[in-house]
Amino acid sequence: MTTSNKKFLDPVGKSVPRIDGKGMVTGQAKYVYDMKLPNMLVGKMLRSPHAHAKIINIDTSKAEKLPGVKAIITAKDTHKIKFGSNEFFFPHTIDQMALESEKVRYIGDEIGAVAAVDEKTAEQALKLIDVEYEILPAVFDPVEAMKPGAPQIHTAMSNLGVILPTNFGNVERGLKESDYIREDTFYCPSAAHTCLETHVCLGQWEEFSDKITLWVSTQAPFKIREALAKTLKMNLNNIRVIKLSVGGGFGGKLEMLPMDFAACLLSKKAGGMPVKICYSREEEFSYSRRKHNMIYKLKSGVKKDGTLMAITGEVIADGGAYCSYGPTVMAAAMMRIFMVYQIKNFRISGFRVYTNNPISGAIRGFGGVQSGFAVESHMDLLARGIGLDPVEFRLKNITTPNMTTTNKMIISSNGLKECIGKSTKSAEWTKKYNNPDYGKKGILRRGIGIGIAADVMGSKMYKSHESAGGIIKIEEDGSVYFFTGAADTGQGANTALSQIAAQALGVSFDRIRCKAADTEITPFDTGSFASRVTFISGNAALLTGKDAKRQILEVVAEEHKINIDDLDIIREEVVNTKENLVLMNFDKALELCYSFDYGRQIIGRGTYNPTTTPIDFRTGEGNVSGSYGFEAQIAEVEVNTETGEVKVIKIWDAHDVGKAINPKSVESQIEGSLAMGLGYTFSENLQFKNGRIVNPNFTNYRVPRISAIPPMESIFIETNDPHGPFGAKGMGEAALLPTAAAIANAIHDAIGIRLKDLPFTPNKIIKALKEQEGQL
Amino acid sequence: MTNLIINNKKYQFELQGHETLLEVLRDHLGLTGTKTACDEAECGACTVIMDGKAILACITLATEAEGKTVTTIEGLANGDELHPIQQSFLDNAAVQCGFCMPGMIMASKALLDENPAPSEPEIARALEGNICRCAGYPKIMDAVKDAVKRLNAGNGQRVKTPDTE
Repeated sequence: MTTSNKKFLDPVGKSVPRIDGKGMVTGQAKYVYDMKLPNMLVGKMLRSPHAHAKIINIDTSKAEKLPGVKAIITAKDTHKIKFGSNEFFFPHTIDQMALESEKVRYIGDEIGAVAAVDEKTAEQALKLIDVEYEILPAVFDPVEAMKPGAPQIHTAMSNLGVILPTNFGNVERGLKESDYIREDTFYCPSAAHTCLETHVCLGQWEEFSDKITLWVSTQAPFKIREALAKTLKMNLNNIRVIKLSVGGGFGGKLEMLPMDFAACLLSKKAGGMPVKICYSREEEFSYSRRKHNMIYKLKSGVKKDGTLMAITGEVIADGGAYCSYGPTVMAAAMMRIFMVYQIKNFRISGFRVYTNNPISGAIRGFGGVQSGFAVESHMDLLARGIGLDPVEFRLKNITTPNMTTTNKMIISSNGLKECIGKSTKSAEWTKKYNNPDYGKKGILRRGIGIGIAADVMGSKMYKSHESAGGIIKIEEDGSVYFFTGAADTGQGANTALSQIAAQALGVSFDRIRCKAADTEITPFDTGSFASRVTFISGNAALLTGKDAKRQILEVVAEEHKINIDDLDIIREEVVNTKENLVLMNFDKALELCYSFDYGRQIIGRGTYNPTTTPIDFRTGEGNVSGSYGFEAQIAEVEVNTETGEVKVIKIWDAHDVGKAINPKSVESQIEGSLAMGLGYTFSENLQFKNGRIVNPNFTNYRVPRISAIPPMESIFIETNDPHGPFGAKGMGEAALLPTAAAIANAIHDAIGIRLKDLPFTPNKIIKALKEQEGQL
Repeated sequence: MTNLIINNKKYQFELQGHETLLEVLRDHLGLTGTKTACDEAECGACTVIMDGKAILACITLATEAEGKTVTTIEGLANGDELHPIQQSFLDNAAVQCGFCMPGMIMASKALLDENPAPSEPEIARALEGNICRCAGYPKIMDAVKDAVKRLNAGNGQRVKTPDTE
């Protein structure tokens, strides 16, 4: 008997099917949403109906008497310890209570929770809780909130919760030496993650051990464990956080929410009955996290030859009621500019402002989507201003391999130039751009635009390190169990990491059984964010596989009296590489390890922490990532000048992925990013009025459907990064960053109109066309 | 008593009348393959096949299924052998988080049962009600087109669910 069918030898670089795919296409994959435990209660959150108010009194007595109600908690039951997301860099932004007791700061702020035998009873109980508020003046516009005299949302700090002055060189001199200067303002709306599986968790307290288990749909189980331990005042080892299949994350499931805390505490108060809290779609839209709506005011100067001389400006972001990952979002928005452009003189002040709107936080791109739209649109306008082709302009100013950026990022491999070259060639840029004979007559006008972007693969956020670890145990029958702390949220982490581990060990992919993201069993991992998993957790998987292999080879070397350096495991065979001789197959090698003579268990381990420096938030300096990824995107559009509708003809995306571990998976990441980018460009706009989300459903918040997807061409640039596992880089976010700008630039090419206010609805285009006519 | 035929098995339920088919499938029968991401007919994740048509289980009362045959994602595979559509979704890397998959596959199944050779616009029309937030649809389109080939290459071996026979 062998535990391998040798179907996927040398799996790295092959599109092996997802390790968990069969469960997903048969409906057998288990999500927390599907979980049911005996005596399980339904939990519901008690929320503020006011955007800003003092809590005078909470009376739960009537609700407590309702039959079927098993537990009610308010701040009185808690230690009143604040939690947040940027503990390491920004301790002062730790600003949220699991349950508020003094004040509510947005519509939906959690002040209590109930657990009851069913949903109906839980909802009824919420209605029976009397809360007395003293309503305070509220502020919803970030610009207003910055003004003196605006209602103050937090007492510990002003509404200017996060200020990021990024400052290098001499901007004034740079502008003075420029031949052309322009100023532009861009508006980026808020948006929602809309994971198909809403936030859901199931908490269970165990009386005899005083231990809590939380099953949760999350991107960061270890982060949630840490936040639970802090707020519940418990030791880490008394809290177990388990991730199952997760129905999407996109940055929205990167931190503890009050519901997670509540499920645990309610279970304790209910004597250990498990408590499940599952958000409805409306709750998901209204009370989870959302994209920062931002205003970008940019002023830049260039020389006639296209040299970028200075960038300056201001970014104002609506943070909502609490900080969440706000500081990192702001920093990431700035940092990405340095990864893409060589710019010596740079000064942008970033303001993340508290308002009484719902909480802004992390969402795929971490500020890079807003930054990508503003900066890439602005760069296009600069190029046009000096009569330079936007592609040439970019080629003149982009970063290169093996360089250190102005803000001290150390770039090793960099395929940006090739990305631009290959994408423009494939899209026939020179034939189409600014060509009056190419689709510029009649009602339907064609245009082409470019956007470029870069991405990190990891970033220290809530801890001083960002390590990942792996364990491989190999049993005597040759079964390989691979343990990783990384959180697969659908992107295919378990598959890619297992491919890396299998390749490093020298076995077929189908041998691997992957056990992931259980804080009690698997190694630590900071989580799935910043496109870090393939790179950081992947490096840990690589080291783990190598370590396990070395242990097997030690036994073989001892038995055959061969120098271990002359041995290797290749394609399931132990080979004497010096004599090019196959000694035995993998199964036989394991039999030997577990034989009478040796009885040696194979337990490989690996841990990886990239050599990065945290960003200095006072200046914007720091080599935040172990490597950097790049891409160029071209969009061709057709604008209907009568209806204002924009049809995307095609999108080309050339991506420096280092090395595609699983090509189809990489393509799928790019396509999914592009779809999200298209949604943000044309339809997605999370709107609120007086602090209340007014479109909390899929009818009024329009995510792309299948018919909205244009042809997409993904081009891989494999730069084989020296630091990446088998040369791979992270790439889960970058493809979304330049999409809106590439389309805005293409619309400009098509009809000569510059759109600076997302999303691009037909009404906005018609209005702009009418204004253009008026000017003519 | 309500009589339902689900995945070729007969069930009898004492229902109050307000239960949706989705509730019965998930809560009474533990068939949790069928999902919902909205509970109000916007996302398509709860798509199942009832008498040959793709329907949304979240807005279908269980009593409406009385006397009809219902097929869910759990009813597609033949033991360990995946239905060609399931295999095609797997092989074409159409799966990311997997949450939309049951609905997406059942909507595809209903389409291909009725129209064995759909055009791209016809596929798009059939799947327009199913949201996928992860993969952006191209691989799903590939998977359905590939499934068409697989099913038609089967020379009469086409696997049919009970409701279409």
